[in-house]
Amino acid sequence: MRPHVLLLGFLAAAAFAAPGPQKIFPYAYSQEDLPNGLRLVTVPTDYPNIVAAYIVVQTGSRNEVEPGHTGFAHLFEHLMFKGTEKFPAAKYDETIRRIGAASNAFTTDDYTCFYTTFSKEDLGTVLIMEADRFQNLHYSEPEFKTETLAVLGEYNKNSSSPFQKLQEALFDTAFDASTYKHTTMGFLKDIQDMPNQYPYSLKFFERYYRPEYTTILVVGDVKSRPTRELVEKYWGPWKRGGYKPDIPAEPPQKGPRAGHVDWPVPTLPIVTIAFKAPAYDDATRESAALDALADLAFSANSDLYQKLVVEEQKADLLYGGLADHVDPALFQITARVRKQDDLDYARDRILDTIRGFQDQPVDAARLDTVRKQLRYSMAMRMDSSDAIAGILASYVALRRTPETLNRQFEQYARLTPEDVQKVAAKYLVEAGRTIVTLTGVTLTALHPATGPAGGSGGAR
Amino acid sequence: MKGWLKFPISFLLLAHGSVAQLRLVALPGKSPLVTFRIVLTSGSEVDPPDKAGLAYLTAMLLANGGTREMTYQQLTAAMFPMAASVSAQVDQEMCTFAGATHVDNLREYYKLLRAMLLDPGWREDDFKRVKDDAINNLKVGLRGNNDEELAKEVLYQNIFQGTPYGHYPGGSVSSLEKIALDDVKQFYRLQYSQSNVILGIAGGYPETFPESLKRDFRKLPEGAGFRPRPKPASLIEATRVVIVDKDTRSVAYSMGFPIGVTRRHPDYPALLLAASYLGQHRMGGVLYDEMREKRGLNYGDYAYIEYFPQGMFLMEPSPNLARRYQIFQLWIRPVEPPTAKFALRLALYELDKLIKGGIPEEVFARTRDFLMKYVNVLTRTKRAELGYAIDSVYYTMPNYNEYLKTALAKLTRDEVNRAIQRHLRTGRVVIVAVSKNGEELKRLLAGDEPSPMIYNSPKPAAIVEEDQIAGKWPLHLRPDDIQVVPARDVFQ
Repeated sequence: MRPHVLLLGFLAAAAFAAPGPQKIFPYAYSQEDLPNGLRLVTVPTDYPNIVAAYIVVQTGSRNEVEPGHTGFAHLFEHLMFKGTEKFPAAKYDETIRRIGAASNAFTTDDYTCFYTTFSKEDLGTVLIMEADRFQNLHYSEPEFKTETLAVLGEYNKNSSSPFQKLQEALFDTAFDASTYKHTTMGFLKDIQDMPNQYPYSLKFFERYYRPEYTTILVVGDVKSRPTRELVEKYWGPWKRGGYKPDIPAEPPQKGPRAGHVDWPVPTLPIVTIAFKAPAYDDATRESAALDALADLAFSANSDLYQKLVVEEQKADLLYGGLADHVDPALFQITARVRKQDDLDYARDRILDTIRGFQDQPVDAARLDTVRKQLRYSMAMRMDSSDAIAGILASYVALRRTPETLNRQFEQYARLTPEDVQKVAAKYLVEAGRTIVTLTGVTLTALHPATGPAGGSGGAR
Repeated sequence: MKGWLKFPISFLLLAHGSVAQLRLVALPGKSPLVTFRIVLTSGSEVDPPDKAGLAYLTAMLLANGGTREMTYQQLTAAMFPMAASVSAQVDQEMCTFAGATHVDNLREYYKLLRAMLLDPGWREDDFKRVKDDAINNLKVGLRGNNDEELAKEVLYQNIFQGTPYGHYPGGSVSSLEKIALDDVKQFYRLQYSQSNVILGIAGGYPETFPESLKRDFRKLPEGAGFRPRPKPASLIEATRVVIVDKDTRSVAYSMGFPIGVTRRHPDYPALLLAASYLGQHRMGGVLYDEMREKRGLNYGDYAYIEYFPQGMFLMEPSPNLARRYQIFQLWIRPVEPPTAKFALRLALYELDKLIKGGIPEEVFARTRDFLMKYVNVLTRTKRAELGYAIDSVYYTMPNYNEYLKTALAKLTRDEVNRAIQRHLRTGRVVIVAVSKNGEELKRLLAGDEPSPMIYNSPKPAAIVEEDQIAGKWPLHLRPDDIQVVPARDVFQ
């Protein structure tokens, strides 16, 4: 079967010759679609011998639209290691070990990513096994039930961090209809009920583990054509699905909200200030302007950080920003203070800082510094084939093409001080604001824990 | 020292003699990135007994404080557009300063790095901030927010008590409080010498760069530095348990015992293979299969023969944590309190099976093949390659990747089984649990009652039968063997 092939070759040399700023992604790559809707992106790099295969399924906790079933995207990340008739779990693991590969997976709000890093001669083995589990996953009800306990175990190991609990409280307070209301791990009550949801799990697989949701990234010591031939052969028969989730839109927030978490053991007090912010968008400069704002206002080089953390030493942590999301999400600023008395002070200085950015445009030279920082930061992250694949996975999850990365950086290049001022005034407003604080108990007043939660760091 | 006989004579001489020269590892490459790793081959084992954490505070101040010419604020501002930084990692025998820059910014970045390490600012306000961070790192980071790391570090501290490794590299709250800026300056003067430094650089640097790096670091005094007398952990006479009591959802375990095997011991490849078979970090193994996959007890279970901090955040170990003494360690990730005793019994039962039955032939071959290839994955970045190369200089042994592949290729199943017999055991183990209701867990562990398992789905007969045995596995614990410590008292 010959797939319809859309071949986009981007030569690094051509990018250098083009007018305007050089593209941030320096590698030539090919992007091709199979007739079933599966997309393959192949990126030959200069790093020898090693290949990274990252398979991105555009399904995350965002897709969990039905009440009582939060955490299923993440549970599925686990179930995908349960094997098939041809490669039962033990045989899959044996093969991964025989070829000396590193293999794992992770889930986010927007996508699930299965990744394997291995020696180049094992590309065929990996693509065959991966194709098999995506098409023929098979697990029994008892196996399913046991795996839900491993997920509970993951929740348990996350639960000793107050930041996980803080995020859980923040999302729940800030959102009403959006599926971002729950964390990727899901609500604890839903995790505890997972063992009873075997039939629903089969439905979830039917819906989302489909070629039109999936992009395969093959990065490293590879060539495009043989990779494409392998993918056509083993992934070509995979049937397209037809399910489209009806993900509810979040209604506009009409006033400030607040929440508080009591932490059962001693810890430093934390305040998070969050604002409703737009979904990732590279057609306008808004997302780029919010990223620049985060760097200007809350990075280690910001005036506020230098004041709170370095000079006054009232806070030991300060950071802020908006993670790229498919749906409207939260621009968050978090400070951890050394003394509980300083919690309000830190909150007020963060709010003052935001007002400052709303009142006047930032100095153009400072914006240039941020632009430079963003470019070098990205260039330096690309230090291995699996690092490159990991970066691309997050962009492919948004727009299904590595070109997203270039477009984002093109928007960074175009930013003006007025753009930054505009987004500060438009989004960092009281009506869309949620403030959540967390304080630990003093040593003399211990009381029982409530149920903390968090994100997913891997299938194992 | 039977273990050293297999190495060429030149390595032996290096290992015993003092290395007066500044050592340099340079790995040129085509990458537009340049990676630095400047390793001080001295660490928290040389902390004065009442100043635990001094090596840590010194390194943290160098990496997070200003230079003589620049305040920390100015330094941060200068690093920012380059997206660069300097990080510090402190262990018993090594303090590592690591950073990377795009080759565009090499000169400018290096100027800052050099000033930070060779011309520090020693400002009181930087010191106060770094010291507060170090104290909070113990009170909040370790005790409050990370039960798994807490269990592991309490284990190391307990096993090595009374030796130079007997305190956590990050110190203790009371000792950190006592340390003054003058102590830090004195530590720097004594320990930061040419003979204690290995310079590491990798990536697309100009050919002449390593020489100028060496020239600059010759500014340090030649000094031999102080090295404490090597001292192994004392004999563990009976299995003992430390329960760290805190309000938490589940029970986190770390357990282990000292082994006389480091990376340059002839049994290292065999023992590495045994640990990989039992539990390859975040990938699988017998413990993972039996405890998580078959029984759903927790999120994962792994085995180690080298110190591996931050395992919950890392898929691979960080290099430059070289030690002369290691332990064999099992990491049992948090389990639900009702299964806590069974999980502990099952882990020791599986270890016992390995010791008595050895590793099956077919699995031996598979694990060996895995490690021979996986070592490429471990060293795939220039950063890691450089780190492992520096460790090899420290251990005075050949390139890790080549060494391991060669040794594994020759390894037999019998050799692995003999190494298991020689070094592993299920008795005389130190077990650390982080749990709430510590006294209740103590009563439970000290009793002889079986630990029956109830599952949420039917299990094959083989598992049910094995549970009968594992559920009665004798822990041989008396109440006196179990100590309950409130979390607020550890690292105090």
